[in-house]
Amino acid sequence: MSPDRIAAELGARRGGFPVRHAPRLRLTGRPPSGVRMLPFRAMSATSEVPAVFRHAATRPGARRLLGEAIDDVRSRRRLVRYLVQADIRKKGADTFFGNLWWILDPLLQMAVYVVFIGLILQRDTPDYPLFILAAILPWKWFTTSVNDAASSVVSQEKLIKQIQFPKIVLPVAATTAGVVGFGFGLIPLFAIMLLYIDRISPYLLVIPVIAAVQYLFTLGVAFLVSAANIFFRDLGNVLRHVLRLWFYLSPGLYSLALLDETAVFQENPALSFIAHANPMAILFEAYRAVMYGTPDGGALMPDWTGLLALTVASLLLIAVTAVFFKRLEPQFAKVL
Amino acid sequence: MPSSRADAAAPPPIKAGRGQLAIRAAGIGVRYSLRFTKKTTIRQSMGQILSREPMESFWALRDVSFDVERGESLAVIGPNGAGKSTLLQVLAGIILPSEGSVDVNGHISSLLTLGAGFDQDLSGRDNILLAGAFMGLDDPVVRELLPSIVDYADLGQFIDAPIKTYSSGMRARLGFSIATSVDPDILLLDEVLATGDAEFRAKSKTRVIELVQAAKGIVLVTHDMAWVVEYCNRAMLLEKGALIVEGSPADVVKVHEERSARRKAERAARLGGAGL
Repeated sequence: MSPDRIAAELGARRGGFPVRHAPRLRLTGRPPSGVRMLPFRAMSATSEVPAVFRHAATRPGARRLLGEAIDDVRSRRRLVRYLVQADIRKKGADTFFGNLWWILDPLLQMAVYVVFIGLILQRDTPDYPLFILAAILPWKWFTTSVNDAASSVVSQEKLIKQIQFPKIVLPVAATTAGVVGFGFGLIPLFAIMLLYIDRISPYLLVIPVIAAVQYLFTLGVAFLVSAANIFFRDLGNVLRHVLRLWFYLSPGLYSLALLDETAVFQENPALSFIAHANPMAILFEAYRAVMYGTPDGGALMPDWTGLLALTVASLLLIAVTAVFFKRLEPQFAKVL
Repeated sequence: MPSSRADAAAPPPIKAGRGQLAIRAAGIGVRYSLRFTKKTTIRQSMGQILSREPMESFWALRDVSFDVERGESLAVIGPNGAGKSTLLQVLAGIILPSEGSVDVNGHISSLLTLGAGFDQDLSGRDNILLAGAFMGLDDPVVRELLPSIVDYADLGQFIDAPIKTYSSGMRARLGFSIATSVDPDILLLDEVLATGDAEFRAKSKTRVIELVQAAKGIVLVTHDMAWVVEYCNRAMLLEKGALIVEGSPADVVKVHEERSARRKAERAARLGGAGL
């Protein structure tokens, strides 16, 4: 086909072309995601950016950014789901035992602590395996999610430079994938509980409520680390040690009551307050209450006040870190 | 942020309903801060903060203005590092310009460097679904498009194998079929025409011509000058982030070739001089 013919063809087409999409001009600092503007079903077979106007000088405020973050995640639920599925498939695909590791991992970790603390240090907490499993399961979820979130945006570097999409779905997907792992982890929990039948109680049904609180808290942390890791690649290394320290300072291998009995805590009410306000302490104690109970008695209700306070704090954390994420988002493609 | 400059450059927005202009770029500038370059460590940035050095930066693009009408196929040419890919990223909405404004009238498809964003562990089929979700397509739409994408990419049985087993040509083919399957108003292409075997190159040319004829705007970055002259109806030469010349493909290619020949001669002269 000769260039002249194409030129003629183009000339003939120009001007007479019907407008298929009514232009929607909006003054925004960023392109709105296409799906948000249409009812979900009405999305046509076209790509992500409808008529947009991008201007260098526009900087949306914190409330706008938060609204955008919520819209981003709501409109891209399916993307989150695909990312979660891909994550789970990948984690299982590389190894011989595959997804069985979700079950084996907490059991082996539990065995390590039982040998170390139960046999070598001779602590005599009754039913100690169950006692620590109640902390190992949520902790494994938390660390996996935070570590995955930290690398979630950085590892999609190539895609971020190719397609405009709401980057906030990446930490959301990383956090959500952790829930599935936690779900798998409940299988060994129930298996172990068969050994301690008298600790089984209807309070176990509260686990999803505690997990929901933990999800919110994890999400808040995930937004922070995923955005910060782009600018400070050291974060992955720092995070490893911070998380390890956090675990040992949280009442996972011991109970909060044990801390309160020590002289240091009795002399320093401030220290005791910090230990009690530690989000992980609230979560561990809550899980332990419903899965284990007290050393000499059965399961009980978790401390609802603590959980409620943590929920409120987590929502605030999410608001702050989501705005932080959205504010840095336009820089991602440049810095990566 | 030099907002006064940006405000001055702000054009009247594209008139609704005319459907004539696809893209209007007015005084685009993209500044990269060198403070947060790749893989900054805390030590480096602490040093920067403490020493209070002025933030180093450079302009990848400066003061670039142009219009793309519906049905036009605009070629962006220039030497390496001219800011061509950055320009496409701005048009795609991936990078927010540091100054100036971009007005885009229509839906954009922007798989720029094709196939680079695939998930290596997932199958070709899963990657199509994932890419569709990333592009914001509704799932039924993607599933509807799936057979034609698979067919066009012509991967045979490999479509259910992980992408890591693909050859680079297969990857590019899949990327091209995904990018062009979504029926965009405006298609941004970066160096895709040189991918794949001869047969697929011919096929992708046909597809691009089809898209051009369907009155969809195309902005294309390429080093293939024959392509530019033959299939684009306008061209633009960028050098070091600045728009040098814009006009008919043949003229612009001529200017580009003259300028690069001169640069080559200068470099040769410099090297020759140093050798003496």
